[in-house]
Amino acid sequence: MAMAALRREGRRFAAPLISPQPIRSSLIAEEQAPLGVRSISTQVVRNRMKSVKNIQKITKAMKMVAASKLRAIQTRAENSRGLWQPFTALLGDAPSVDVKKNVIVTISSDKGLCGGINSTSVKISKAMHKLTAGPEKETKYVILGEKAKAQLIRDSKKDIELSITELQKNPLNYTQVSVLADDILKNVEYDALRIIFNKFHSVVSFLPTMSTVLSPEVVEREAESGGKLGDLDSYEIEGGETKGEILQNLAEFQFSCVLFNAVLENACSEQGARMSAMDSSSRNAGEMLDRLTLTYNRTRQASITTELIEIISGASALEG
Amino acid sequence: MTLNLCVLTPNRIVWDSEVKEIILSTNSGQIGVLPNHAPIATAVDIGILRIRLNDQWLTMALMGGFARIGNNEITVLVNDAEKGSDIDPQEAQQTLEIAEANLRKAEGRRQIIEANLALRRARARVEAINGIS
Repeated sequence: MAMAALRREGRRFAAPLISPQPIRSSLIAEEQAPLGVRSISTQVVRNRMKSVKNIQKITKAMKMVAASKLRAIQTRAENSRGLWQPFTALLGDAPSVDVKKNVIVTISSDKGLCGGINSTSVKISKAMHKLTAGPEKETKYVILGEKAKAQLIRDSKKDIELSITELQKNPLNYTQVSVLADDILKNVEYDALRIIFNKFHSVVSFLPTMSTVLSPEVVEREAESGGKLGDLDSYEIEGGETKGEILQNLAEFQFSCVLFNAVLENACSEQGARMSAMDSSSRNAGEMLDRLTLTYNRTRQASITTELIEIISGASALEG
Repeated sequence: MTLNLCVLTPNRIVWDSEVKEIILSTNSGQIGVLPNHAPIATAVDIGILRIRLNDQWLTMALMGGFARIGNNEITVLVNDAEKGSDIDPQEAQQTLEIAEANLRKAEGRRQIIEANLALRRARARVEAINGIS
């Protein structure tokens, strides 16, 4: 077939031997070689294959690291879940309480490559901000984690009260978080604290959740007005000088427990999201590697065929 | 009619079962809780919690927190809790001595307050062991 075509045309067959599909993926390779010569060299494709294979190895390793970290932190998150349930039972979780000063605590991760969880948290924080804005009301942010800080600092810089990063340098424990909670409570005036984090339901599902912690004055106000918090009055408060003092301690304790649980759950969600992101990344790298291998083989065969044609045409020219 | 007692710390659930009676130490003294107690929400001080199951008393050292007593359900949330049987007597005694030494050495209000708290915690642990015997 090649001989007949040669007799018809009398010149080399280069590009037409390569089928159209690989041209798309090796378009970049073609630019590097001058026109008129064999347009794709196997060297270029081989380099690409090597780099894609490295990426695949790295993402696979990251997935396994994330899986092991997830296992470690998951038991702790589940144990800490039981902690804030009595608070909700006693004080109720009232996201719809209307207050003057809102503080939105956004929890995010420090490192990237974890899927879309940080963007969803930031989106919800911004929505909450808009929802609670109004005359005489102010809403401030407290940010935990580098990623949310980077996103929120762009458009809401003046509303950020406090931002804390590098939470996960030491393994999370309650004392550290309670110190953090103390810090936040001291520096920020608030009527209601809304904590936004990603709750860990399973390895593939993390739902952004919001927990509300009300300040003691608001709790008193709501308790008197009845409703869910009205049950609080039926409890006799003991163990201190005044009811107000106890309620304040209770609110602080509640905040630190809820924050601890939120931080753990967010860390779990981060590891889970990273696992699935790295998994799909390795799979994509595998597919790309398959396509590149096909291109490589076709290129190799094309160059062999070209050499054969040259030799044969040279030999037939000699014979006459 | 038995009480259901739940003792929770941020890291784990320390106790979750039915008991006959408990004695809790709060900021304003010790209170005993029997079935059908009136609902109370109270702050718990650093001290010991005594639990009675069928004529046997068990002690636990609590490091401060809150307790809620509802209709026959007691929930105690504390920063840390240790069962008396889990504490090593020698080690607790040593911690107590170290805490006392630190208190004597402490200077400045903040250090004194911290040393005081550490001392009370160590004392609670020692009492928890002695309480069983």
